[in-house]
Amino acid sequence: MTKRTSEPRSAPRPSPSIISDYHLLPGVPDEMIDAAGKLRPGWDRLMGAFDSLGSAELAARFERADQYLRDAGVFYRKYDGAAGKERAWPLAHIPLLIDETEWRTLSRGLIQRVELLERIVADIYSDNRLVQEGLLPPELIAQNSEFLRPLVGVQPTNGQFLHFCAFELGRGPDGGWWVLGDRTQAPSGAGFALENRVATTRALSDVYGEMNIHRLAGFFRDFRDHLFAQSRPDGGRVGILTPGQLNETYFEHAYIARYLGLMLLEGEDLVVEAGRVMVRTVSGLKPVSVLWRRMDASFVDPLELRYDSRIGTPGMVEAVRSGSISMINALGTGILETRALSAFMPRLSKHLTGAGLELPEIATWWCGQAAEREYVLDNFDALMIGPAFATTLPFDDLRGTALGGSMTSTQKAQLKDRIATHGRHYVGQEPVRLSTAPVYQEGKLEPRPITLRVFAARTQEGWGLMPGGFARVGSTPDTTALAMQRGGQAADVWVVSSKPVEQVSLLPQEGDKLVRNSAGSLPSRAADNLIWLGRYAERCEATVRILRAYNARLAELSKPDLPILTHCAEFLKSIDVDASEAMPHGLLLSINSAVHSAGQIRDRFSPDGWLALNDLQKTAQRFATRIQTGDDATRAMTVLLRKLAGFSGLVHENMYRFAGWRFLEIGRRLERAIQISRIAGWLTGEDAPDGSLEMLLEIGDSVMSHRRRYSVTAGTQSAIDLLVLDPLNPRSVLFQLTELRTQLEALPGGIRDGQLSTVAKTALQLQTALIIAEPQAVTPEELERIAGEIGLLASLVAGHYFT
Amino acid sequence: MLYDVRLTLTYDYDAPVHGGRHHIRVAPSTMPGVQRVVASSLSFSPTPHRVTSFVDFFGNTVSDVTFVDPHEKLDIRLTARVQVEDRRGQADLSASLEKLGLEISRFWSVEPDSPQHFLAASPRVQIVPAITDYVQTVTTKAETIFGMAMALCLAIHRDFEYDPKATDVETKPAEAFTLKKGVCQDFAHVMIAGLRGLGIPAGYVSGFLRTNPPAGKARLDGADAMHAWVRVWCGTHMGWIEFDPTNAMVAGGDHIAIGHGRDYADISPIVGVLRTHGSHETRQSVDVVRIE
Repeated sequence: MTKRTSEPRSAPRPSPSIISDYHLLPGVPDEMIDAAGKLRPGWDRLMGAFDSLGSAELAARFERADQYLRDAGVFYRKYDGAAGKERAWPLAHIPLLIDETEWRTLSRGLIQRVELLERIVADIYSDNRLVQEGLLPPELIAQNSEFLRPLVGVQPTNGQFLHFCAFELGRGPDGGWWVLGDRTQAPSGAGFALENRVATTRALSDVYGEMNIHRLAGFFRDFRDHLFAQSRPDGGRVGILTPGQLNETYFEHAYIARYLGLMLLEGEDLVVEAGRVMVRTVSGLKPVSVLWRRMDASFVDPLELRYDSRIGTPGMVEAVRSGSISMINALGTGILETRALSAFMPRLSKHLTGAGLELPEIATWWCGQAAEREYVLDNFDALMIGPAFATTLPFDDLRGTALGGSMTSTQKAQLKDRIATHGRHYVGQEPVRLSTAPVYQEGKLEPRPITLRVFAARTQEGWGLMPGGFARVGSTPDTTALAMQRGGQAADVWVVSSKPVEQVSLLPQEGDKLVRNSAGSLPSRAADNLIWLGRYAERCEATVRILRAYNARLAELSKPDLPILTHCAEFLKSIDVDASEAMPHGLLLSINSAVHSAGQIRDRFSPDGWLALNDLQKTAQRFATRIQTGDDATRAMTVLLRKLAGFSGLVHENMYRFAGWRFLEIGRRLERAIQISRIAGWLTGEDAPDGSLEMLLEIGDSVMSHRRRYSVTAGTQSAIDLLVLDPLNPRSVLFQLTELRTQLEALPGGIRDGQLSTVAKTALQLQTALIIAEPQAVTPEELERIAGEIGLLASLVAGHYFT
Repeated sequence: MLYDVRLTLTYDYDAPVHGGRHHIRVAPSTMPGVQRVVASSLSFSPTPHRVTSFVDFFGNTVSDVTFVDPHEKLDIRLTARVQVEDRRGQADLSASLEKLGLEISRFWSVEPDSPQHFLAASPRVQIVPAITDYVQTVTTKAETIFGMAMALCLAIHRDFEYDPKATDVETKPAEAFTLKKGVCQDFAHVMIAGLRGLGIPAGYVSGFLRTNPPAGKARLDGADAMHAWVRVWCGTHMGWIEFDPTNAMVAGGDHIAIGHGRDYADISPIVGVLRTHGSHETRQSVDVVRIE
């Protein structure tokens, strides 16, 4: 239902005071204030709202947006020299407003453009008429590393090469929009646009509600419908193909996968069998028929594309050739990002569509042509000079592209010389000046240059544009496009309508068919990571409990060479934990491993659980630099224990009981069973010093239960009975095995035709042995053997479900 | 000239390989005006789970072979009978370097045989200024592309030492050039890099040499293994001519080609993805006999 939220725009209001000291930069247009000095449509409402909120409230609201991004764990990875680190998403809090009428013109121009790009790439990979007819120089194709020869002559299964593209735009001094670059390989940013929207509306929900702003959900819904329409009639899953968690935009891949309900797949998850792409799941191989590719094409197949790719799937090109998989976008479409291609777009447009480009692009001269080369050499100082075959945008290309005039005379001479002899490697481009939009800094509005990223996707009714996108906001008032190389912030983009807009949600509509995904689609790799996450989290807990018991005694007795302490320290050493360190390195490693495993399955994991785990890691790292052994460490371990319990609670109380949760639970139970068996064996041995049994009960969190069920003083048999054989103690070995058996039986193939799987049978054997065992028979040797058997069970699970 | 070719490639794996998938390019292809394959048969041991084949961009036949069962050894056997055209002793009707540039700029095609594919750096051949300088020096007296290519062939044969121990399959042209040592693959890569540096289209040919020389002639270097040489685009009139820098000669009678590409990466005998932790050893035996 459409909600009527506002009346038509009313008579002009007095100018909001917040803009009184907003000073425009000379020579470039501004997004908020037009040439006549008046506020553009929509901005009057927004600035009026800012005025009535006042600066304190405004600051509090922007902080709310930032808080949201932190809580949601939105980050990106930046590669600057050393290993990429996760960075907080730099939200510019003021959205960029664009009037619907202008947006319509923009949409028309971009749809014309994307249709033109489709025709060009289709020609490049089929009969190359554009080359034969002299419209496209053969060098730009034949010498281009984005020209993927194994794809020549391969028609995409759906007949279309492009399905999802992005465009980088800037508003020139003439007031019109210019195309600065096309993204056709594997465009990123749509998910960040969505997050920007959520964050910005957190801060400005009332203003957003009152203004008529186009919603983004409809765009994603239509594209999702298009993706599912590409899947084959005989079934096949739809997935996002990601390079993995080290990729700079992995967060976005996981986010979109979760948002649209697609599988998040890495090359390793897939296998090509008889020309068909299959995903390894815990219930065996399942067909995949659509991949939304977020990986550069040359990496997807080490057999036919880059031989050194370690993130691809052998045979993927064969699957494409045989028509069994739809690649979104087709392999090879990256060639359209070649910078020199810009020089030919106006002519190609006339030739292929009979019309000029509705949206102009940066004037580009390719130095592979004599006249153009002369022009670039003659106007060297006034042009941006860069590599012709580059696919990065000029302002993302820190090393390769610079303004001719900014170079030293030696650099100039060298480059001019190179251009004269190797012209085809270079382009000259008009240096673009950008428009400005306001950012909020220290309580004031400041103009900053912006570029706009807009997304286009195919839908069942042809191409559609995301009514919004994201704006990059420069970090300085320098409005040359190249200045964007220095980074900055990202802002939400609001397309403002004069009429109420359609309210869309990705929740199913009345009348939609209810679709239930079966539990069997869990990729094996994800299941493997879930098991390890469970195991590492539990290993951390076991280690923390032992360290706490150790440090408490150390604080009390302050003699590190007491037998009970050395005996305990020796056990810790066997699990690579050095008891003489207050915050042992070995424990930090386990925590890091848990975070690493969780990081690989971000799409299956609640943001709260992720934040709890990160909080645990940060706390532990902070402790490592501050605490001392003894009392200090005892308290620190108590803090960590609480945080671990918080993480477990969040995960176990909130995770749906799909196969994914079962694997996490299996990991946790396996590890706890192993840890308890080992420590129980160690502390009940003949050489165990006085106080060992009390320590064991404390580590097993069973002091109270023991007091209630047995006597105050612990005996070996009562301790073993409680911590190994008791079916009701959630810390006993038997309890873990009972849980394991339940989970293993519930897994895909756990019981088939009334028969238990080999894995479930093994768990049953172990469980039965403990049910019938007498405490005196459970010797330290026996416990060591049990720990070994459970370790074997873990390998059995891995062998059965992950290979 | 009619030849019988027999090749056995053996891979011994340190640890059992749990399945794998390979693209194998060892079977000669028919190339109009160069050679015609009369018969060809390729077999594998152990028996693969699946074998298919296709023709790649440059026209080479590729066998796509999948193994599922664990194995410790892989044998690839080829027998082929190939009719080779004698292309030696052609008159030099090639263009000058200047004219070649003009002809290339008018060559509006990206068909597989177009010189446009063979001018830029490719996966295994970088443009190395030192090599370009060397080529410039050794070809100053030549006036045509054919003449330049021949001069370069002779120079490489003179200045480089054939030494299988000096380099391996991964050696870059720049390294081989500094060492002035290597095998056919290195010499071919150096020659390609140098010619491209001057703007002359050059590609890589993989194939075989006849094992026993005609009476009274010396056995050629590289005859007991798979061989590699260079094809050079000598202008629109002469087209592609093959040169063997390892033996300082035009290839056109005793050379039986498997196929060609921009460099080794386009036509390597085996590209594979294995599920294993160990390394492997390769052995090959080649026997090429002239029938008539």
